Amino acid sequence: MTQKPNTVLGACPHDCPDTCSIVATIDKGRVISVQGNPDHPFTAGRLCVKVNHYEERVHSPDRVLYPLRRVGPKGEARFERISWDEALRTIGARWKALISEHGPQVIQPYSYLGTQGTINGLNVGDPFFNKMGAAISERTFCDSGACTGYIMTLGPTPAMDPESFVHSRCILLWASNPMSTNVHMWPFIAEAQKRGAKVIVIDPVRTRSAQAADVHLALRPGTDSALALGMIHVIIRDGLVDQDYVEKYTVGFDALAKRAKEYAPERVAEITGLTVAQIEQLSHDYAKAQPSAIRIGVAIERNGNGGQAVRALSSLPALVGAFRKPGGGILQLPLWAFPIRWDKLMRPEWIKPGTPVRNQWKIGQDLLATDDKGPIIRSLFVYNANPMVVAAEQGLIRKGLMREDLFTVVSEHFITDTARFADIVLPATTQAEQLDLMFSWGHLYITMNQPWIAPLGEAVPNTELFRRLAREMGMDDPQFSLTDDELAQQSYDWSAPALQGITYESLKVKGWARLNLPDAAHYAPHAEGGFPTPSGKVEFEASMAAGGNFVLGVFRQGSEEFQDGSPVDSLPSWTPPKHDQHRPLTLISPKSHAFLNSGYGNMDRQLSHAGNQQVSMHPDDAARRGIMHGQNVSVTSSTGSFHALADITTDVAPGVVQSAMGYWGSGMADGAGVNSANPARYGDLGRSPAFSDTRVEIAPVA
Amino acid sequence: MPHVVTDQCDHCRYTECVAVCPVECFHADEQRLYIDPIVCIDCGACVPVCPVKAVVDVFDLPVDARSSIALNAELSKVLPLIKQKQSPLETAEARRLALGF
Repeated sequence: MTQKPNTVLGACPHDCPDTCSIVATIDKGRVISVQGNPDHPFTAGRLCVKVNHYEERVHSPDRVLYPLRRVGPKGEARFERISWDEALRTIGARWKALISEHGPQVIQPYSYLGTQGTINGLNVGDPFFNKMGAAISERTFCDSGACTGYIMTLGPTPAMDPESFVHSRCILLWASNPMSTNVHMWPFIAEAQKRGAKVIVIDPVRTRSAQAADVHLALRPGTDSALALGMIHVIIRDGLVDQDYVEKYTVGFDALAKRAKEYAPERVAEITGLTVAQIEQLSHDYAKAQPSAIRIGVAIERNGNGGQAVRALSSLPALVGAFRKPGGGILQLPLWAFPIRWDKLMRPEWIKPGTPVRNQWKIGQDLLATDDKGPIIRSLFVYNANPMVVAAEQGLIRKGLMREDLFTVVSEHFITDTARFADIVLPATTQAEQLDLMFSWGHLYITMNQPWIAPLGEAVPNTELFRRLAREMGMDDPQFSLTDDELAQQSYDWSAPALQGITYESLKVKGWARLNLPDAAHYAPHAEGGFPTPSGKVEFEASMAAGGNFVLGVFRQGSEEFQDGSPVDSLPSWTPPKHDQHRPLTLISPKSHAFLNSGYGNMDRQLSHAGNQQVSMHPDDAARRGIMHGQNVSVTSSTGSFHALADITTDVAPGVVQSAMGYWGSGMADGAGVNSANPARYGDLGRSPAFSDTRVEIAPVA
Repeated sequence: MPHVVTDQCDHCRYTECVAVCPVECFHADEQRLYIDPIVCIDCGACVPVCPVKAVVDVFDLPVDARSSIALNAELSKVLPLIKQKQSPLETAEARRLALGF
């Protein structure tokens, strides 16, 4: 019997704020096409340059569909097919031997959000590795620094609905380029602009969004917190404070005012490269046009002052009373609206006291580190991640992965730059082949993804991967027998107010639901305070700073031990960046328009949109170095170097150079990407990466 | 490498694409539309809504139609921006049928 093509409601799996509802067309077990769901208010019928042809990813001839064993030298990507039984036996035998000889802490899990589904994403391996006693993976890839700063100030609150931006009268897009990385939010901003709102982009680069804005303020990288403190200075100086809101719903105003006094516009102009007039105009525009909204992008945290910039920016809406109305406030992560049972996802109660915590930015250093018993990591298990491309110090990671004694297992869709070094590669399903329930960190809808097709080859979802590994390792806790349906159902608190009127069964039918919150025209959760901070108020002066620097438990498998703990200024602050006289340029490495981190960096369609790895530089900087447009150049930091084609443009200011992250080194002549030059240095809060704060020099390649 | 409007739009100009475009990248003359490649974000929203499949990802463009790339880039610079859906040309229905849609 022939089956006609049918459609399935799915959800985009990617680490992106938009979490689209997808309509997939299926014919004879194959995905024919995907479209954005026209019925979903945020997706509104569109996907994006990354996902428009998801079928090409699912059915790519390059997919890993069977377990593989390495048969050549590490890094050469020569593999042979083996059975699942053999793969599991090999892994189990190696791990049991390592555990009996060295203890489980020499086994290091490594993962992030290759899929960000609730059951297959961030925490899917945590119960298994916590039970095993392996070293904890501290995953501060994205927004951990911003989260620490934001929570110190406002607490874990969604604070705004992105759809309410249509009601904003002034919008600051700060370190945020929605046209490339939050594309479904742009129409809400454009609608506000049509209704008369002023849209101001604050970004060192003239991004696509900056080109569509009313004003673009190109500040120097890493000076955001100084600019925000300058705004606070002007707002206080010029009597633009909402005194009533500040008195009722904030703490620490006097201390903040004292700190802001140090940031007169003249000084801030020197720091940021903007003019006094621009700083004053920005402050007045923002304070007077109520409700005003700030959208911060993840990029805000990626420098030595990023966390404190988030502190200052989260303080601004309270200072001017922007929280009073829908369309006012700050949008960081509306994820906080979702009643997720992180405890069920992570099982932190299984962590044995004293289990070491290793931050993922330092993986290159850690793979090469030894203690008195030898290497601290003897086996690496990678899933949902491609550290060779996305983590800093690519050269060190390569050297570490080359270690003959390191037993590396990678679960993947493709032979990535990381998988090339694996001893065993395991086949992972795409979103088309798995069940998941998606939260969002960019809107207020929960979305269900039911499998569109059966798994291809012998690929398995991450949930099944860990069920199999648990069986092999002899773990018999009921956790490891839960079905995907059971895992998904227990991942949320269905009795929470936000999920009233929504059931697991109703999501199976409709595919998505708006959380049970007031609509965008009425959603102003902090119109009368009510912040989930220790004081219940906006903490200009943060009481949580007393505990020192920390990473949220969700980013470290639930572990509460071995926090960073370094001192934190309880008031928003700015520290001058370190200059390097031999490397006068500052490299920023944002996400590519066509890739999703390293995802799609191997796909012909997205590569055709992205073009070659380029480095954008100002004509003055190029002329000084005798560099012509399109010329092959080397970009060198104290960490390493990579090659790129010079893109000479006034879209970047003098002294700033930009090169997008996501290209695979295996596809490039010298094997190195932008992360060869980025050091694994933390920002000021939450161990954010500081990879938009790298000093480099650029020279023509001879 | 953006999306382009191909010759299929000629004598049609349905402008369904304009209604769904989130960034206002369509420009028009009397006969057809063109995409501004600097503004287009490759979201692909316009592809399925065009009644004559005139919008194409450059990646999918046949070799003999690649002149569309320069044509869209050049004419979108000088022609007026179309912000709202308009009535199709009078010739549109006949053209659509002739194209086999």
